[in-house]
Amino acid sequence: METPSGQLAARILKRLVEEKLLRPNDQDKLLDNLAVGKLKSEDWQLAIELAQAKEKEA
Amino acid sequence: MSASRLEKLTIEHLRGSVVPFSLPFEKGKKLTVIYGENATGKSTICDAFEFLGKGRVGSLENRGLGKTERYWHSLGKKPADVSVTLQTTSSTCRATIGTKDVVVVPAEERPLVEVLRRKQILDLIEAEPGKRYAAISRFIDVSGIEASEASLRQLLMDLTKNREVAVARVQENQDAISQFWEAAGTSNPDMFDWAITEASRESGTFDTEIGAISALQTAFARLTGYPDHLASANTALTSARELEHVAKKRASEFLESISQDAGEVVEILTAAHNYLTKHPLPATCPLCESPEKTDGLAVRVDHRLAAFSKFQAAQAEVKQAAQLVQKTEQQIQMWLDAARKHVTEFEQCRAAYVWPNDIPLPISPAPQDPPHLSAWLAANSQLSIECKKAEAVRHDKKQFISTLKKALKTWEVNTHAQKELDRLLPRLTKALEIVQDERKQFTDVLLSKIADEVGLLYEAVHPGEGLNKISLELDPSKRASLEIGASFCGKNTRPQAYFSDSHLDTLGLCVFLALSARDQPEYTILVLDDVLASVDEPHVERLIEMLYSEALRFRHCVITTHYRPWKQKLRWGWLQNGQCNFIELTKWTASNGLTLIRSIPDIERLRELLTETPPDCQLICAKAGVILEAALDFLTLQYECLVPRKQAGLYTLGELLPAIDNKLRQALRVDVMTGADTVGESVYNTISLTAFLSELTRIAQARNVFGCHFNQLSFDLLDADALGFGQQVLGLMDVLTDGDAGWPRNGKSGEYWETAGTTRRLHPFKRPM
Repeated sequence: METPSGQLAARILKRLVEEKLLRPNDQDKLLDNLAVGKLKSEDWQLAIELAQAKEKEA
Repeated sequence: MSASRLEKLTIEHLRGSVVPFSLPFEKGKKLTVIYGENATGKSTICDAFEFLGKGRVGSLENRGLGKTERYWHSLGKKPADVSVTLQTTSSTCRATIGTKDVVVVPAEERPLVEVLRRKQILDLIEAEPGKRYAAISRFIDVSGIEASEASLRQLLMDLTKNREVAVARVQENQDAISQFWEAAGTSNPDMFDWAITEASRESGTFDTEIGAISALQTAFARLTGYPDHLASANTALTSARELEHVAKKRASEFLESISQDAGEVVEILTAAHNYLTKHPLPATCPLCESPEKTDGLAVRVDHRLAAFSKFQAAQAEVKQAAQLVQKTEQQIQMWLDAARKHVTEFEQCRAAYVWPNDIPLPISPAPQDPPHLSAWLAANSQLSIECKKAEAVRHDKKQFISTLKKALKTWEVNTHAQKELDRLLPRLTKALEIVQDERKQFTDVLLSKIADEVGLLYEAVHPGEGLNKISLELDPSKRASLEIGASFCGKNTRPQAYFSDSHLDTLGLCVFLALSARDQPEYTILVLDDVLASVDEPHVERLIEMLYSEALRFRHCVITTHYRPWKQKLRWGWLQNGQCNFIELTKWTASNGLTLIRSIPDIERLRELLTETPPDCQLICAKAGVILEAALDFLTLQYECLVPRKQAGLYTLGELLPAIDNKLRQALRVDVMTGADTVGESVYNTISLTAFLSELTRIAQARNVFGCHFNQLSFDLLDADALGFGQQVLGLMDVLTDGDAGWPRNGKSGEYWETAGTTRRLHPFKRPM
């Protein structure tokens, strides 16, 4: 069974992508670490900065 | 992971299975009910499933045994003798005790197993909220997300702090630049334009100027010492020359006082002294070679030399004074050479740089000769002080540019950082809100779904009691803490405080079932080990019905029980048992271990008796009579028929058959489901019970004659009468009841009484008056 954390992680990342706070192709990369509690401050910052940069480019 | 049907479980030397024991599973039945009195081996079967699926034997845990592995094998056997083998339609997997753990081969066929024992029910309900959370955490635990969320929250806090620092730095450096700008006279109306222009100035210019000034200053300083040095040296020379003159004069006077040739004599005497030191007793005079007066010659020479010592001292002074004069002259020459060299260097230094106006250079070049140099130095005595001032001014300017540069840089960096953070922080805040919202929503929905499921299951067991509003709540003030709530007398409260033990047991079972059903039930073998212990009579039937329907969701469900009425109700087909494989364990013995016997419902037993050759009329009539009593008991209760009131409610056929009066007999009919039409609607065949009841009334005495008593009448009756009685009863039961769906007890339609799945519809709904 997919763990509750795994299910929730997928939902959170989907929302973050919808809100353009995350790049779609980062979703899979972050999924496991988010679910098991290994997404560190620097990972969050990088992911959100990259999404911000992408939005700026667009 | 497999969902294939179970065929057989074989247990060898695990706990009570002292000899290999096989438990077969009937095809098409997903529920196995194992009935047995205490100590018949029910828990060994549950342990076997747990051993296979989870590598443990849970029934031994928490009994103060410490590590339980040493008790897993049967007495007299070794751990290596233990094995549990599950045979399914697709594979066979076997579990044995390995060196460290239970080993299952093939590992990929290891089944998912959930075992619930009564103790776990108590854990779920009566434990502290924290322990309760632990019991179900794998279904609701999102601690991984919480940890990642904490990192995001920490990041937000850190960056907010960073922004505050950046804002403070921006203000600080803006103030500093403003002060510099004002100090510089605010000539440029734009403070930052001015600052950028100023900061762009090369600090190297100042370094070059400072270096040149410093070199000039050093060169000038070197010159300033020479006049004094030369003056001192000339004074010393004069003194030395005077000393030399005085010494010469004294030596001369002394010499004249001794003899004209005293000098030469002293030299001769000194030579003689040296000779006589080496040859203390000469035979002749070393000068005249006369042998006279040689005795005491050395003493006499020393006496005469002593007389000349003052003259010698005077001579030494003359020599010393001459040396001093020579040395002083050399010193003066050295100073003169050095002064000329440094004058040249000073001029070179002056010529090497285009000097700014604030350096007051000497009008004339530095003179080489000492007297002029002295005057020149006196005329330019301020040069050194002015150079120092000029140097200090440049140091200050350099420092100012450096400070301004730093202030501007810090201002720029922090302004940039602030802008970046102003863009990033709202995004992080939004991200954190999303994570928090989703987590809370997810957990709430999850718990709510589980609670609803629990409520539905609970309502199935306790219909209409108003206890179905179950809630599962996470305590927001405590991590990993789960409360169970329920509605009691219209108030939300904790069920542990008001529910009976029986209600709490049911609640715990419902929570467990609801949770187990969330975890791939189609792959899970659910094992319920004697969980009906404290459920009271009115609820147990509904609980069993609920378990029947829940069992269908799982790969297979095994329920063990020592609840005897269940066995009886199954015997009588009062429960729907289409999915149920009922197995009875008989007494466990140390030599035989677990032994199962097959219980079949009485109706099926009657059917078997009717097919035996030769027929046993006594058994047929006895069995048919009991079944008919059960059927009539059911009908008279269902239609509230009039029977004589009795203390123990025990009625005979002679009392029950007439109680179904003619009107009712004519009205009684059963719709028997025969299949479904093309659109899936059930198709029924309606059969009246009138003929069965009339015929049974006619031949009912066969039961007493054959089945109950010894009497001579039976000698006169034909076997056909006994067989006829049995067949009529079987016919009636086949119409009235469904071997799989049970008896038509459910009146929810309001029009008829129906079995589970509506395979039988008994009419009328009420007794015709």
